[in-house]
Amino acid sequence: MKQKRQITNRTFLLTAVIGSLIIVTIVTASTLWNAKKTGAATDEAVSAVSSFYLLTMAESHAKTVTNLIDNSFDEMRIAIAYIEDEDVDSQNDLREAIGKVESLLGMNQFALVDEDNVVYTRYTTYTGGSRHVFLEEESISDRIVSIVSLYGSSKQLCLAVPTPDLFIMGKRFKACFVQIDFNDIVNLLALDVQDRTHFALYSKNGSNLSGTQLGPVISNSNFLEAIHGIVSEDVWKENYENFEKGSEGSLSFGTGDAHQTLCYVPIEGTEWEMAVLIRESIIQDQIRDISIRNLNTSRRQVIYTFLSVLALAGVLLFQVGKLSKEKLEEEKETSRNFRNMANTDSMTGVRNKHAYSEQEKYINSQIEAGEIDKLAVVVGDINGLKYVNDNFGHVAGDQLIKDASALICGQFSHGAVFRVGGDEFTIILQGDGFDAMQESIDGLNRIVEDNIKENAVVISIGYSVLTAQDRCLNDVFERADRMMYERKKELKALGTPSGR
Amino acid sequence: MRINGKKIILLIPMLTAGLFLFSCSAASPSGSTDGKEASAGTDGSGQDLIIQGTDPVKADDPAHNAVNFEHELDSYKPQKDSYNFYFTYKTVHPWWDAVALGMEEAQRQYLDRGITITYEYMAPDQASAEDQTKRLLEAEKKDYDVIGVDVADTEIISPILDRMVDDGIKVMTFSSSDAGEGCKRIAYVGNTHNYQDGADLTEALCKKLGYKGKVAILVGSVGAPCHEDRARGARDTITKYDNMEIVATEYDMDSVDLAYDLTKKILNDCPDLDGIVCCNMSNPVGAARAITEMKSDAVIVGMDHDEEALRYLKDGVIYCLGVQDCYSIGFDTIQTAVKIADGNVSGKLFPEKTDEITTVIYQKDAAVMLEILYGDIS
Repeated sequence: MKQKRQITNRTFLLTAVIGSLIIVTIVTASTLWNAKKTGAATDEAVSAVSSFYLLTMAESHAKTVTNLIDNSFDEMRIAIAYIEDEDVDSQNDLREAIGKVESLLGMNQFALVDEDNVVYTRYTTYTGGSRHVFLEEESISDRIVSIVSLYGSSKQLCLAVPTPDLFIMGKRFKACFVQIDFNDIVNLLALDVQDRTHFALYSKNGSNLSGTQLGPVISNSNFLEAIHGIVSEDVWKENYENFEKGSEGSLSFGTGDAHQTLCYVPIEGTEWEMAVLIRESIIQDQIRDISIRNLNTSRRQVIYTFLSVLALAGVLLFQVGKLSKEKLEEEKETSRNFRNMANTDSMTGVRNKHAYSEQEKYINSQIEAGEIDKLAVVVGDINGLKYVNDNFGHVAGDQLIKDASALICGQFSHGAVFRVGGDEFTIILQGDGFDAMQESIDGLNRIVEDNIKENAVVISIGYSVLTAQDRCLNDVFERADRMMYERKKELKALGTPSGR
Repeated sequence: MRINGKKIILLIPMLTAGLFLFSCSAASPSGSTDGKEASAGTDGSGQDLIIQGTDPVKADDPAHNAVNFEHELDSYKPQKDSYNFYFTYKTVHPWWDAVALGMEEAQRQYLDRGITITYEYMAPDQASAEDQTKRLLEAEKKDYDVIGVDVADTEIISPILDRMVDDGIKVMTFSSSDAGEGCKRIAYVGNTHNYQDGADLTEALCKKLGYKGKVAILVGSVGAPCHEDRARGARDTITKYDNMEIVATEYDMDSVDLAYDLTKKILNDCPDLDGIVCCNMSNPVGAARAITEMKSDAVIVGMDHDEEALRYLKDGVIYCLGVQDCYSIGFDTIQTAVKIADGNVSGKLFPEKTDEITTVIYQKDAAVMLEILYGDIS
C-alpha cells in the first residue's frame, strides 16, 4: 500500500514537469517558426507591394508626361491655325501673333521656323540651325520630341511639328515648336509625389534629363553609370538593354543599411524612361517595424509562457509537497493510534499483555547487552476476583479490576504498569520508579491491609530486583511471582474475605 | 488526497489551454562681370596654368568656373519700355548659341522689370565678311536702337561701322572679335585677350613637347581679329624656342571639314608633326578627326567648347582647350546695348571694352564641362 502511493506521487511530478517542458518547447518552437515564416512572407509581400506601388507611380508619371506632350502638340496645331487666320505681313505682326497664342494657350516659348532655319519667337529672331537638333534635317515630316541643352546643365523639352502649309511674310515656314523647361515638368510631377519617393527622367543612354535626384545613391548622375558598381554585371546588362529597347524594368539594391527599390517605364512617344525610387525602402522599413514588433511580442509571449509554466509548476510542487506532508502526518497518527490500541488494556487503560511482551523483548536485549543495572519487577494479583464475578456479576468484577489498576498506578507512578492476565498486573521499575520501589511497595501493602478491614480491593504483590545472574526479564519475574504467592497467603491469614 | 492518472491526464490539457489563453492576451499590443580680366586653368600635371590674373579659388575647379551663369542686371534704369536690337555674328555655330543664351537671360530679366527687349540675332552658315556687310547695310535701313557686330573681317567691316556711326546709328561690337583699332563703334563686349589666349595655349603645347618639335597653326577666317590675334600669339610663342618650328599655317574659314582636310594635308606633308595650335572652334574638331584617323601622335591645343572637341579632350586626343565665357558675353552685350540705346557712351556706366574670361581646361575637366554645357544628352 505504501509503495503504491509513492509511485503515484512520482508519476504525478514527472508528468507535470515533462508536460510543462513539452508545452514550453512546443510554444517556443511554434512561435519561432511562425516568426520566421512571417518574416519571409513579409519580405515577399513587401517586395511585391513595392514593385507594384513603384510601377503604378512610374506609369502615372509617364502618363503625365505623355499627356503634357500630347497637349502641347494639340496646342501647336491650334496656334498654327490661329496664325494662319491672322494678317501677318511683317516680323512685328508675327511676334504679336505669337505673343497672343502664348497668352491664350499658356504656351511656353512657342516659335516658328522658316525654310532658312530662322527662328521667330515672341521677342527674338535668330538663326537657329546649330541650336535645334531637329533643324539639321532638310525637311520635317512628323512630330519631333527632342532635348535642348541650355548651356549650363539646364535642359528643355523641345516639341516640333511640321507646318508645310504655313506661308506668311512671303516665306514658307517648315516647322513650329515649343520648348518646355524640365523644371516645369519636375514641378508638375512633384505635385503627386510623396516626399519619401524620388523620380527622374532619363534618356536612353541613362542621362538624367530632369535634373532630379533618384535617391542618394544614384543621385542625378547617369543612371546606367551609377548602377554599374552596385549591381551585378548581368543585372546591369539587363537594365542597359531595357533602356536601349525602351522597356520597363525594376531594380533593387542595398547600400549600407538602406535597401532601395526602383522601377522605370518608357514614356510613350519619346525615347525616355521615367524612373521612380522609393527612398530607404520606406514600405519595407515600415512593415519590418511591424514585423519586429510582432516578433518582440512573440518573444515576450514565450517568456511569459515559460515563466507562467514555471510558476504553475512551482505552485503544483508546493501543493503536492504540502499534501504529502499532511498525509504523512495523518498516517503517523493513525499508526500511533493503532499501536496504542494494540498495546493498551481497554478496561483499565494500562498496557496489556502484548505491550508487556514487546517490552520484555526489548529489556531482554538490553540485559543481554549489559545495558541495564537497575531494574525490578513487581507482580500483583487481585484477591477474590472470581468470587466477586461469581457472586456479584462481571460488572462488579470489572470494577474491582479497575480499582486495582488505579491503586497500582497510584502507588507506582514512575513504573510501567501492565495488565498481563485477568487479575494479574506486572510493574517494571527503572530509574525513579526503581529508586522509589520499596516506598511504593510498602505504601501499597499498607493500603491493602487497610482494605481488608473495609472489604475493598486487595492486591497481593511480590517483587524482585534484577541480579547479575539473571539472563532475562522472566528470571526476575519468576522470583517476584513466587513472592506474590507467599504474600497472597499472608493476606489470607490476615483475614481477606472468603474467596478473595 | 489521492492523485491518480486520470487527474494528471486532465491537468495537462487544462494547463495548455490556460497557457494558450494567456499567450493570446499577451500577444495583443497593441551680375554682371564688369572688369573681368582673368582666366585660369590647371594643366594635366596639376600645375596651375595662368592666362591672366588668376583667381586662386576658381583655379581649383576650372570646369565649373569657366562659365558664370549667375548674372543679375545692374542698377541702371533704362529710359524706355522697349528696345529693338540687331546683332550679327560670324557664322551659325554652337559657340554663338551659347552667347544667345546669355542674351536671353538678360532679356528675361528686363522683361521682369517691365522692359521689353526684342532683337534679331543673325548669321550666315559660312563666315563671310561680304555677307556681314550685306546684313549691316540692310539693318541700318531699319530703326534698330543698337546694331551689334561680331566682326568677321576687320579690314572690311570697320569702315562700314565708322560710316554707320557717322550716320547716327548706334553701333557696338561683341563676342570674340572687336573692330579694328580706332573704329568709332561705341563699345565692345567680349574676349579682349585673344593674343594672350593663343600665346598661353601654345606655351602649354611647347611645355608638353619639351620645347622642341614641329608645329602647325590652324586659323579660322582670314581677317577675323580673334583668330588672327591668337595665331599671332602662337607664332610669337613658338619663335621664342630655338628647337621649335612652325611647319604650316592654314585657314579653315570656320569649317570643321576644311580643318580636317587641312590637317590631313599637313600630316601628309610632315608625318613627324609634333603639335597643332588651333585658333578657333572648328580647328580642333577637324584636327582631332584627322589625327585620330591617321593615328598621329601630334598634340592638339585649341579654342572653345565644341561638344565634339570636348569629347576628344575627354579621350585624350586633344591636350587642352581654352573655353570662353560665352554666356557672360551674351548677358553683358544686351545690358550694354540698352545703355548705348539710351545715348550713353563708355565710361562710368560701362567700359569701352568689357572683358570676359577664358579658362584652359584639360582632360580631367572634360567630363564635367560636357555635363555643364551639353548635359550628356543622347
